[in-house]
Amino acid sequence: MINTTVKKILDIDLEAQKAETKSFTDLNNYFGGTGLGLKLLEMYSEKNPLIISTGPLNGFFPFVSKASIVLINDGAVEDIYLGGSISTRIKFAGLDSIVIHGTAKEETVIEIQNSDAFLKEGSTDLESLGLPGKRTVIEFDGEKVISDQYFTTPENYLEKKFIEKNIKGLSITGTEVYSPKDFDEYKNLYEEILNRKDELSVEMGGYPSCSGCPMGCGKSKIGEIGGNILLNSLVACQYADKIYTDIGTVFSCLNSLGYEYTHEDIENLPTLVEQTIKKI
Amino acid sequence: MPKILKPTQPEKCIGCEMCVFEAQRQLKKVGMEESLVRVFRKKSEGKQNVEFELEIDPRINILDIEKISSVCPRKVFEVLIEQDLVDGKDQKHEKSAEQEEDIERKKRFMIEENLQND
Repeated sequence: MINTTVKKILDIDLEAQKAETKSFTDLNNYFGGTGLGLKLLEMYSEKNPLIISTGPLNGFFPFVSKASIVLINDGAVEDIYLGGSISTRIKFAGLDSIVIHGTAKEETVIEIQNSDAFLKEGSTDLESLGLPGKRTVIEFDGEKVISDQYFTTPENYLEKKFIEKNIKGLSITGTEVYSPKDFDEYKNLYEEILNRKDELSVEMGGYPSCSGCPMGCGKSKIGEIGGNILLNSLVACQYADKIYTDIGTVFSCLNSLGYEYTHEDIENLPTLVEQTIKKI
Repeated sequence: MPKILKPTQPEKCIGCEMCVFEAQRQLKKVGMEESLVRVFRKKSEGKQNVEFELEIDPRINILDIEKISSVCPRKVFEVLIEQDLVDGKDQKHEKSAEQEEDIERKKRFMIEENLQND
């Protein structure tokens, strides 16, 4: 079942070398992605966190294929977006966010399998971790942080954070299976949205594609920088903004999965996020 | 004659996993676990050379494989008839009413099994 009332966070403390999952019932109004990531940034502000989040539609609908990364870079709050298979793997791990805080004493590789995290030596072969076909591998090659051997993020914020925290890489495996509340409605909506691919502002191509997106556009290789709060909290692709900034469509998608958000909750999200940013 | 789903052009795969999700949706589930088609990223030298491998569980052929094939944006799959494969011919074919009924029965069984596991 999809847990529509609780946000599940995997808290990884590199300093103490331990990890635990935490469930929050009071963060639902932040939806997910950057909305949730910024709230967590406020909550963990003393711990220099690196926060990777998915939104409620990731893994379920087409073109909702990015993961949100929120962090502080040189005193400024930054949000960047990574493509590939990371968003579906975090979703199928049963998590909404991964919060990595503190600094490891030695270079570290993090292995996440559903709700569990294991901290390993930096020399560990990332390809030996997790379950092939159900995992994403994110590796820092000394120059860029690369996901699935292809996808990166803009600027060098993520790379600086990996160096600061002594992270060599991550492997994330997700094996959870969900059954949407109203499956027929969900399936109809899925197909309706898939048929709207002409509304995307990218052309189809033959480049490696993000999980759940048929476009193969080539633009997802370099990731994205934040823009629209709703889009970034769902963590939909910026090129699908015509679809996922439409409140009616978003409402229907959420509703088919069992989320009880109202139109007002969706409309109020930008104000809520703005208030959160002011507190950081 | 039974029809089978075959990745005839795997080199064109871009790893979008649309086939994985379609196969799962037909079994009324969302996720990667126990999917009847799986996409593996092949470890390759150099950042630009990303390749994919596909693994197909033969049980996938009780699903609507035309739909799984058509959801692929790169036309990696073809729906073939078993006998044609033996004969070396790659021809498309329509299912008989009896075959359709048999497929629906098997599919219902798999969905019920999934719901029980859920």
